[in-house]
Amino acid sequence: MKMSTLFLPLTAILLILGLCACDGNRSATDDGTRPAFLQIGEFAVNRLSAERIDVRDGAGRTLVLIPRDAPMPTGVDPNRVVRIPVERVVAYGYFEVATLLALGVLDETLVGVTTPQDRWYIPEVRRGMEEGRIAFIGDASAIDFERLKLQQPELVLTWDPSIIPLLNTLNIPVVVTTTPQAMCLGARMSFVKFLAPFFHREQEAEAFFNRIDDTLRDIRARTAAAPQQPKVMWGDVYEKRVMVEPGNSWVGELVGLAQSNYQFRDIFGASCIEISVERFLYSGQDADILFTYRDRKSGATSKEALGRLNALIKDIAPLKPEGRVYAPLPHYHQSGDKLDEILFEISAILHPELYPGYRLRYFDELPDTDPVITKDSAYDHF
Amino acid sequence: MKTLIIHCWHAMASIRLTIILCILLTLNAAWGYFCLHGNASLYMPMNDMGLIPWAKTYGRSSLLLTAWFFLLLFLLALLVCNTFTCTTDRVYRLLRAGKTTSPMCLAFKLAPHLMHYALIIILAGYLCSYLFSQVLTGQTLVPGTHLSLPGAKGQVTFTSFAPEYYQGQRLDFFTDHILTPRAHLLLSSENSTREAILTATRPVRFQGYTLHMIDFAPKSLGGMNMPTRIDLHIRKDPGVFLYLSGMALFSIGLLFYVCEWILLKEVNKQSV
Repeated sequence: MKMSTLFLPLTAILLILGLCACDGNRSATDDGTRPAFLQIGEFAVNRLSAERIDVRDGAGRTLVLIPRDAPMPTGVDPNRVVRIPVERVVAYGYFEVATLLALGVLDETLVGVTTPQDRWYIPEVRRGMEEGRIAFIGDASAIDFERLKLQQPELVLTWDPSIIPLLNTLNIPVVVTTTPQAMCLGARMSFVKFLAPFFHREQEAEAFFNRIDDTLRDIRARTAAAPQQPKVMWGDVYEKRVMVEPGNSWVGELVGLAQSNYQFRDIFGASCIEISVERFLYSGQDADILFTYRDRKSGATSKEALGRLNALIKDIAPLKPEGRVYAPLPHYHQSGDKLDEILFEISAILHPELYPGYRLRYFDELPDTDPVITKDSAYDHF
Repeated sequence: MKTLIIHCWHAMASIRLTIILCILLTLNAAWGYFCLHGNASLYMPMNDMGLIPWAKTYGRSSLLLTAWFFLLLFLLALLVCNTFTCTTDRVYRLLRAGKTTSPMCLAFKLAPHLMHYALIIILAGYLCSYLFSQVLTGQTLVPGTHLSLPGAKGQVTFTSFAPEYYQGQRLDFFTDHILTPRAHLLLSSENSTREAILTATRPVRFQGYTLHMIDFAPKSLGGMNMPTRIDLHIRKDPGVFLYLSGMALFSIGLLFYVCEWILLKEVNKQSV
C-alpha cells in the first residue's frame, strides 16, 4: 500500500476539522455577539435557544435557565430549572456577593447572606441589611432554613453542596460556585459571564471582563522587562495543617504572568490545598515574598508574631528581615468586584520598582516586630 | 464492484498500514499530551455528558485543543478496521489449514487472533459507554436523605457515614484524615430492601445503575466544620458488559498463548 493512499483520508479529516473550526467560530447566538457555548474553567454556559440556556455549575450539575413566563421544560428535574431574570438571591460567600455587585444586580436581587452585618465592608450590603431587605440567614455551618424560606429566594449561590437535599425539598434551585480544582486566572475573571445569564446582565459581565483583561495586559507590559523575578509563596501554616494556593490557581498564574516565580507552581489541585509542612519549609528556604491567609485579627500582625504562632516557620526566608510578608486587609475578601485593582496591587507588590509611589489598599506589609505600645503612645492614640 | 471490495479489503489488511497507524497514533498521543496539559477541565465533562454532546460543545468550541482527540478517534477507527481485516484474513487461512491439525494446536495458533478480536470488543465497549451511557451528575446526599432512580422504582437512602481514619504514626500531617470514606446505603425496591456500603473505590450496583462516590465531606476530623455529605454520580452504562466480555476474551487468548509458549519451551528443551 502506497504512503500517498494513506495520507489522502488523513488530509480529508484535517480539512473537515478545519471547516468545523471555522463553523465553530461562527456559532453564536442570534445577535451574533455571544458565543453559543462558553466554557469558564469547570463552569459552562450553553445557549440552546432564545428560550433556553443550559449551565453547568461547579459540582458538574446542569441547570436549565428559562424565561419567567415559559412553560416548564419536560424531562428536567424542577429543582434544576431557574426562571430568569432571577429576582431574589441568597449568596453564601463574599465572592458571589462581589460578583453580583460587579453585575450591578446586588441592590435589586440579594435577599440573604451568611455573614452578620457587622462583618460586611460592602456599603450596599450593610445598607440592605439595615433596611431589612437582606437577611442574615445564619452562619454557613448552621443555616436557619426557616429564615431562608421566609426570604423566598429564587436561587441560592453556595460553595456548600450539603444544603442541596434540603433546598430541593423547599423547591429552591442551587448553584454550586466552587469547583474541585482551583479557579485559574481565566475562570476567575470570566466567572461573571457564568452568572450573567441568570440576571440578563451579559453586557455588564463583558465590560467587567474587559476591564480585568486590560489590567492584565498592562501588568504584562510593565513587568516584561522586570529586573528581578521574586520567588513567591501564598499560604499559611496552621496548628496541624499547611494550606497553600496551588500552581493552577489564579494566584499562581498571576505570579507567573507578572514575571515572578511561584514556589508552588508544581502543585495542582483545589484552592487552599493541604501540603506537608516539609514542602512548605523547603519552598520557604529561598522565597522572597509570602502572602498569608491570616489577617491582623487572626494574628498576622508582624513577622515575629507569625513566628510565634508557629515556631516551625520562623526560619523561612520571607520572615527574615530581608524578606517580605503580606497579609490581606479585612475588606480584601469582599472586593472581588475590584479584581483589576487587586491584580494590579499584587503586581505592584512583586515589582515595587516598576510601580513607584503605589500605596497598598488590599494588603498590608507586615513589620518585623509588633509595634511597642508605650503608655504615652497609648494616650496619643486616644 | 467485487474487485474493488477485495482491493479495499487487502489494502485495509496491510501490515504496513498497521505500522503507519501505530506511528501516527504515537505522534497524535504526543500532540494530545500538550493539549491536555492544564486543560483537563475541557475533557472531564465527556465522562458524564457523553461523546456527541461533548463534541458539539466543548470539543467544537476549543477545536485547537481538541482536534488531536478527533483525529485520535479517526485513527483508532482505522486501526480497528485494519486489525479486523488483518486478523480475519489470518484466521480464515488458519481455519482452512486447520483441517489437518489437531484442535488443541489450532486453538493455540488462534490465541493471538483471539486477543486482537478482544481488543476490538474492548474499544467498541468504550465507544458504547461514551455514546449511550446515562449519567446523573451531582447527586448530593446527607444522612437521612434519599434519591429515586429515574425509570426505576428503586430508592437509595444514605443512612450513615462511617469512615476509616488514618491512625498511623509515620505521616504526622495525615493523622485523622479519612482513608476510606464508607457510606452506608439502604437500597429499597418494590420487593426487597438491602444494605450496601459505598466507598470511593467501590461502586454499588442497583437496578441496572452503578452508584459512584465522587466526593465527600468532611475529609478529616477537626479542621473546617463541614456537614457530612456524599456526592454521587449515577450511571447506566451499556458498554460495561461489552468491555468486560472483551477483557475475558483477551484473558482466554492470553492463557492459550502462554500455554503454547510453555509447551514450545518444553519441546525445545527435549529436542536439545
